[in-house]
Amino acid sequence: MVIVKRKELSLSERLYLPEIFRGMSMTFRAMFKPAVTRQYPEEPLPTDEVTRGQPRLATNDEDGSIRCVSCGLCEAACPAYAITIDGQDTDRNAITIAGDVTEKFIEREPKEFEIDMLRCILCGFCEEACPKDAIFMSDELELADFTRKDLIYGLDKLKRPVSTLRPRIDYIYKVNERWQASSSTR
Amino acid sequence: MTKITLNGRELEVDASKPLIAACDTAGIDVPRYCYHPGLEPVGSCRICQVEVSEGGRPARVMAACRTQVTEGMVVNTEAAGAHDARRECLEFLLKNHPLDCPICDKAGECTLQDYSFQEQQAASRSTEPRATLEKRVDLGEVIMLDQERCILCTRCVRFQEEVTKKPELTNAGLASNSYITTFAGRPLTGNYQGNLADVCPVGALTLKPFRFQARVWNLEKSSSTCAECSRGCSISVEVLRRGDVKRIRPVFNPDVNQWWMCDTGRFSFPEVNDAERLTGGLIASGDDLMGVTTGEAIRHAAGVLASSSKTALLASPFLTVEEAAEVKVLGEAVGAELLFVSPDPNELKDDLLHTGDPCPNRNGLEQAGFKAISPADAATRVTGADAAILVGERILKLLAGNSLGSTKLVTLDTAACLASGVEACISIPFYVEKAGTWINVDGHIGRLTIARPIPASVQPLERSLVELTKSLSRAGASV
Repeated sequence: MVIVKRKELSLSERLYLPEIFRGMSMTFRAMFKPAVTRQYPEEPLPTDEVTRGQPRLATNDEDGSIRCVSCGLCEAACPAYAITIDGQDTDRNAITIAGDVTEKFIEREPKEFEIDMLRCILCGFCEEACPKDAIFMSDELELADFTRKDLIYGLDKLKRPVSTLRPRIDYIYKVNERWQASSSTR
Repeated sequence: MTKITLNGRELEVDASKPLIAACDTAGIDVPRYCYHPGLEPVGSCRICQVEVSEGGRPARVMAACRTQVTEGMVVNTEAAGAHDARRECLEFLLKNHPLDCPICDKAGECTLQDYSFQEQQAASRSTEPRATLEKRVDLGEVIMLDQERCILCTRCVRFQEEVTKKPELTNAGLASNSYITTFAGRPLTGNYQGNLADVCPVGALTLKPFRFQARVWNLEKSSSTCAECSRGCSISVEVLRRGDVKRIRPVFNPDVNQWWMCDTGRFSFPEVNDAERLTGGLIASGDDLMGVTTGEAIRHAAGVLASSSKTALLASPFLTVEEAAEVKVLGEAVGAELLFVSPDPNELKDDLLHTGDPCPNRNGLEQAGFKAISPADAATRVTGADAAILVGERILKLLAGNSLGSTKLVTLDTAACLASGVEACISIPFYVEKAGTWINVDGHIGRLTIARPIPASVQPLERSLVELTKSLSRAGASV
């Protein structure tokens, strides 16, 4: 058996009041400071180029054509098996980017490009694997729908003009030395 | 047999074959683009260079495909000199090769890609622009040529000269301006064009029906046997995402088809990708057919057969030996003669592989005691009986165009029977969905393996046949 001796309280401690004033002073101080909480969802979350949101497919600003050639490297790189691509033949001319024509034809484009957003873990491997600068992590983070089927995004939901992805593209090129060496279609 | 030392190992090798074949036998990987075991070596790509010393002389770097094996030869495939020579070669081959890998159908099974990856030969030292040639030359029904990707190995030219003996391709132009083309730009002809895409080591010759259909690393490959004629070529059935067969390619079989196969077999896969295939079973209900489970269709069929006094049985030439054994049991149970429908030989017969006989297992069925019968005679047998069992893949197609009268029909096929007397249709798997054996025209055994899963509502034919025989004996006992 252990006998614990109670601590003798001083007069101010027995009165409680000084401690209550100390606590209230904290409360009133916080009351007049600017708020740190965010009114989500009315007020959207701040994002910047480091944000790895949902992947999106870049389309050229000039004619809205998709950059993807359905090579399947993102599909192979995806650790969550979220991507499914079916290719098709196309004779759409490659657009001239900054006067540098690298191909006469695009030849191949995706017929179907599906990303199962329920599977996607937003890791960014697809962005890293892409040899054509066609897929990038956007700043879009919100993901809610009524059915699972609606969360399998097809081409219509994935296409974004490349200009809207520009900050991310510039950031990726900045941090990845390997990409700087081969900046062809940027 | 000749004794050589290969990478420090003493080996006995066949002196009639070039050094590169000896390396292959020993399991030593020497890169090659122009050498193909089925074609005459020409030594045009120079990528197979290895270090060889003969008779005590200093080692020299030589192309392994054009070097004869001699007694006491000492070969080192991994010597620094050999690697340097090969790397230089590779640099020249890649000088004008476009960086097309993302859109190239060969990517993933391209040896140029593999070897440049292995040698870390990614950047080019050249500041000259790459040569620009025609990217899409249409060479007829089957082949599309990309002259930029071509590395001028001339395997395609030699294939036509040596295998089909009908040269249609040639190497035109001089030196660095050379390109592959057909004579006077005519399209390719013949039934062996698909092999050109197989022999091409890069993505210069691609198959039009396979163009951009799938990435090759997504294809699940299973070895099987071709169904289009009695030759029974060994094939690889390549399935995308457990669904459609996207490509059929020959597999080396020294006894049957060597490295080749005909286009009839190569492009026969739409047959097994039928979206309208029958699943489960169908039974007659009034004037219509009613969809039921396979089990119910089998019980209904047994009832029909038990009440028939004279039953005819017609097997399809696509039955495997194993299935034929079960059909035999069923045939004895209904007291029918064992017959298989054998259509007339078609005009596709040639000197190379195609036998013109569209029955892949004629030999196996004949050995099992089945007798061949023409489709017209088969239809007569059906109309002369109370009930008939039509069993096996494509049996309805083979009998199409012949009147089957109002005989009660029990069919086991991948498609539904629409004849007037049909009582029960039982679904069966396609040949790419089952394991079994076919015996080809020369008596060689061809194995079938399961290349993709069968739909849940379809059961293996052997099982349906056993169940039908059992239900029949039960129905017979109760009548």
